[in-house]
Amino acid sequence: MGREKIQINEEFWDIMPDDYKDLVNHSTYGKTDRGWKDVGSSTELIAEHSLCAGCPESIAFRHIMASMPAPEDTVMVGSTGCTSLVFPMVAVHNIHSLFGNQNAVATGLKRALNVRFPNKNKDVIVLAGDGATVDIGLDMTLQSWFRGERFTTICFDNELYANTGGQESGLMQKGFVAKMAPVGKKFEKVRLPEIARESGCAYVAVLTTSKPSLVERVVRQAVLIAREIGPTYLQIYTPCILEIGKQSMEGLQEMRDAEAAGERFKFREFITPEAQAFIDDMAAKKKAEKLASAAN
Amino acid sequence: MYNVAEISEEACVANKGCRLCIMYCPEANCILMNDEKKVAFVVESRCKGCELCVVVCDAAKHKAIAMVNR
Repeated sequence: MGREKIQINEEFWDIMPDDYKDLVNHSTYGKTDRGWKDVGSSTELIAEHSLCAGCPESIAFRHIMASMPAPEDTVMVGSTGCTSLVFPMVAVHNIHSLFGNQNAVATGLKRALNVRFPNKNKDVIVLAGDGATVDIGLDMTLQSWFRGERFTTICFDNELYANTGGQESGLMQKGFVAKMAPVGKKFEKVRLPEIARESGCAYVAVLTTSKPSLVERVVRQAVLIAREIGPTYLQIYTPCILEIGKQSMEGLQEMRDAEAAGERFKFREFITPEAQAFIDDMAAKKKAEKLASAAN
Repeated sequence: MYNVAEISEEACVANKGCRLCIMYCPEANCILMNDEKKVAFVVESRCKGCELCVVVCDAAKHKAIAMVNR
């Protein structure tokens, strides 16, 4: 897909919905330097969704959609949960998989895309909640990393099963009492980022979505490394404000609290030397290009 | 009656490069830039009234956004 693929036939302009016309006129398809700075002055690749007012997950969605390096050549794989409410409203190809199967589906998809488009970069991004990634789909998630499949896995970690009323999940913090887990969690939060590093991921990052520039850098790196080197994993804290008993305007502060020094979502990343060399090489090339264009 | 955000054109400092409300609004295409006036404005039909924009604007001491009933 690309800008030319979404063009409207001239005789249909008067009957197309305004949202689609905006997408054709003002979206950031086909731009190599797209990022969160385009937000507000261009049409985003996500439209009116049905998530709650003030949901941090939708902030994360906006930042990720704005940071993807090549949305026209990206296929996203989603899973059951609040994210599956948003995928119908996203202007990027996407697949809804069975609960937990997302990394297996993405594996087949990525291999098929490589066969079908051998000379093109096609990115696959898995975006699922913590239940799908860590509890129900842990087998598929880990096996895809063991095999070194080249796609990005993004986990929206809200530390419980929020969509179904607040049951305990593997990523819930120890001792947390949720609406449908009244005893409190008895064991520690699963250390999936460390597991990912040991399982063969070339790049792993843990963050919240309170800084768009950080989300942009991390998502870009993760997608580009997955394109060239190996699997990448991002764990993004998107608290469910309803289930942890916060007001709609308190989600941002909750994320900032969770990323303070010593807290569980303090920003950290693991990168293999090979991936680091690739990123440095890319930065050096970009710098050289900039110097060359400045000289002209 | 709906609770939606309203941006005061006089108090908005978007011309100085501020994009806080646009960045932190959870709704897509809800707070946009008016490129002629260089101020942000709210698309009221998309606003869910979460007040996050008010929080970030007040925290930066611009105080340009208020919630209004429509």
